[in-house]
Amino acid sequence: MEVDSIPQQTQEKAAQIDSADLVVGLFAGLNQQNISLLYEGLRALPGSLRIVVLQSDPAGNKATQNSLSAEGNSSLSVLPWSNVIPDLAGGPMQSISVACRSLFATTEKMGARGCCLVASEMEGEMPQWVCQLVQPLLESDFDLVVPYYAPRKLQGLLNNSIVYPLTRSLYGMQIHNPLGPDVGVSRRLAQKMLGNNRNANAGSSQSHPLASLTPAAVCDNLQICQVHVGARIYPPTDWVNMSSLLAQVLSPIFIEMERYAPCWQRTRGTVSFPARGEPVSPSQETGTLDMNRMVETFQLGVRDLQEIWGLVLPPATLFELKKLSRLATDQINMPDELWARIVYDFALAHRLRTINRDHLLLSMTPLYLTWVVSYARELDGAGATAVEKRIERLALAYEAVKPYFISRWRWPDRFNP
Amino acid sequence: MWDQVKQALDQSTTKFLTEIAHLLPGVVALVVALLISSVLAWILAIVVRRLLTSIHFDEQLNRWGFASLEEWSPMNSPTRLVSRTTAFLVVIAGFLIGIAAFDAESTSLLVRSVFAYIPNIVGAILVLLVGSLVASFLARSVLIGAVNLNLHYARLLSAGVKWLVIVLAVAMALEHLKIAPSIVDLAFGILFGGIVLTLVLAVALNSKELVTKSLDRNAKETPNENIEEPFRHV
Repeated sequence: MEVDSIPQQTQEKAAQIDSADLVVGLFAGLNQQNISLLYEGLRALPGSLRIVVLQSDPAGNKATQNSLSAEGNSSLSVLPWSNVIPDLAGGPMQSISVACRSLFATTEKMGARGCCLVASEMEGEMPQWVCQLVQPLLESDFDLVVPYYAPRKLQGLLNNSIVYPLTRSLYGMQIHNPLGPDVGVSRRLAQKMLGNNRNANAGSSQSHPLASLTPAAVCDNLQICQVHVGARIYPPTDWVNMSSLLAQVLSPIFIEMERYAPCWQRTRGTVSFPARGEPVSPSQETGTLDMNRMVETFQLGVRDLQEIWGLVLPPATLFELKKLSRLATDQINMPDELWARIVYDFALAHRLRTINRDHLLLSMTPLYLTWVVSYARELDGAGATAVEKRIERLALAYEAVKPYFISRWRWPDRFNP
Repeated sequence: MWDQVKQALDQSTTKFLTEIAHLLPGVVALVVALLISSVLAWILAIVVRRLLTSIHFDEQLNRWGFASLEEWSPMNSPTRLVSRTTAFLVVIAGFLIGIAAFDAESTSLLVRSVFAYIPNIVGAILVLLVGSLVASFLARSVLIGAVNLNLHYARLLSAGVKWLVIVLAVAMALEHLKIAPSIVDLAFGILFGGIVLTLVLAVALNSKELVTKSLDRNAKETPNENIEEPFRHV
């Protein structure tokens, strides 16, 4: 039952509220000032909306059920989101998954028109971008509103290197941040996600709601909208858990690829996808580039992980990697086609269960870091427009290699490495 | 006297021929059992080989982490190893049946004790298989984890973990087979301790430079409040 996804305390408080037009899940650890600003922004939304805010409480901000309707058109009720906390033992992806399920279940239970997950902090003022995510749901009946974070050179690297170009080449839509995590979702799509979740629980694979949103919306021809929301503040890199984070992100994407294989195999080319709102210029990135560690990890991988990569990658790719590892640290440059091919080969090995799936995804870390090194070196000193062009070039490489992937997907035995 | 000698010879010849005649059915039964079991073994070996080939058994074994089994197999093919082992077991079974046909009283004890030992053998094989699986899985986990943590002695750690688990599994299997249990206990203790000691020495002495380099690098990489890491991945 999807109601099980709603925390007990939230259910008790929600029982006092009949219905709502919009449910907002406040998952990001915001300070009291930003929360107040957000409430003001939501109350100022056009139309007499009944808004319910689910507020997790990582910063110790008190969230008791109260109706706030001092100023503005809409009434706003705040409910505690008790067992949804950003730092569950399973990692951040697991926490967001729990939050999404709970948010979708609450949306369905209250018969709301849509919901919005606020999982990030942005540079700039708080309420504007949340309202921008919500408005297309309420005013234009969009089913999925995804953010278009202002592109930054060395941030959101996993999205830039794999998630965006892979999703774009597979599903043919230029959605820049398909995994959100800040998203607006219509009731129709939320219901579909809950249905998917039930099916996934019945089967063996556990899907992730955020990874399912874009494929489900594209393949079911739902209305999708992309909104410029500013520059997201990314959490600092935890190098010790870097590989498990990579696995946590990629695993649900690869699982969705299996589920929607008939859909993406039919898709040819990509559709340009204009974003609403005005693009925001991000602030200047600071920090010292130290890529020696990443290069060393790659060289170690080439030396020690051959037996694993040999089961996944074709000999030509292995040969290319060996050649790369022999280059001097400042000359290592992974071609986009090679990287795209590697990602596709890992996706296929994930599907075929060539080796244990955790081992497979964890062993991808040195290759990913090599791509990061190549990318960072290429963009060293470049401006914001160069970032977009660079990511566009990578996405085109993914599209060019897609026929190879489709062939391997359809006839894996013919292409055994 | 000549008559007595002749009589004794006749008696011994008769006794010998009687014994031979008594044994002959058993020998024939043994030969027949061996022949039939050989034919059965040959057919079974072909069936097993074809079945395993059709499911790409050799490749699957590689994927499951049993790559080293190839080295131990005839013609580097685990499929052949399995099919030949099956055939060998069938021939052994035929031989035991043939032996039992000789003299039920004297040989049944042997056959019974051999069959009573089979559960021990099966148990030991299972222990070895599970041990081998666990060893491969842990070795891979350690190898990948160590490479991702940028440890230069990743392979050494992985091999150490693998051999620790394999030695443990072999000791358990031998214990199960009841082969010199006290020696096995002692040998296991020495070998297990030896591997741990070797690992410690390898890291502390032989890999001194590696460790020093690694520790130096880690010390350099200790987060410095003045240096901001610019990379953000997720």
